[in-house]
Amino acid sequence: MEDILVPIMVVGMIFVGLPWVILHHLTKWRAASSLTRDDEMMLDGLHDTARRLEERLITIERIIAADNPDFTPRRGLADPDAENDPYRRSH
Amino acid sequence: MSASRTKYYLDKQNAKWMGVCSGLADYTGIDVTWVRVAVIVLTIMGGFPWTLIAYFVAAWLAQPRPLGLYDNAEDAKFWQGVRTNPKRSAREVRAEFRDIDRRLSDIELYYTSSNSRLSREIDALR
Repeated sequence: MEDILVPIMVVGMIFVGLPWVILHHLTKWRAASSLTRDDEMMLDGLHDTARRLEERLITIERIIAADNPDFTPRRGLADPDAENDPYRRSH
Repeated sequence: MSASRTKYYLDKQNAKWMGVCSGLADYTGIDVTWVRVAVIVLTIMGGFPWTLIAYFVAAWLAQPRPLGLYDNAEDAKFWQGVRTNPKRSAREVRAEFRDIDRRLSDIELYYTSSNSRLSREIDALR
């Protein structure tokens, strides 16, 4: 009886259990590392808002600096080449 | 509703053949030349039928990238970062907001504390 049962169990473990465990962890890992649709849209909105806020802030800083020579805005994350970006969307 | 920006697409605009390699380069941010060299080297070094099969399966399954998926190069770069590491991208966006906050508070401080010109103008109005 054991001569039959043991190979069946071993084969079952190797061909069903092992792929199952691997796939289970793969899907879990995928779900943990990837974004959901809502997350993606939220991140897109936040990124867009940050960019527009920064643009407005740069404009305001320029206006203030033009009015008040003693006001020097500290340079932020914005790179000076951003305005020469040919792909830049016009708002 | 806009198309997903975290999916793998075929990049037909920069395609040499069917756009799989250029799509992979666009997805990961690795230079497209290196992707192509790696695929060719893999094919020569014994992966012969499998890389080709994978190439055709990818070309068959994936859709071409929709036009205008990204607004500009900066946007494309941002989403490339999101695909490789969403947490870091979220931290970057938070850092941007903090930077904006800091600069706004600078402006506020400038106008509330030492603005001699504003007080002069107010005096002139009296």
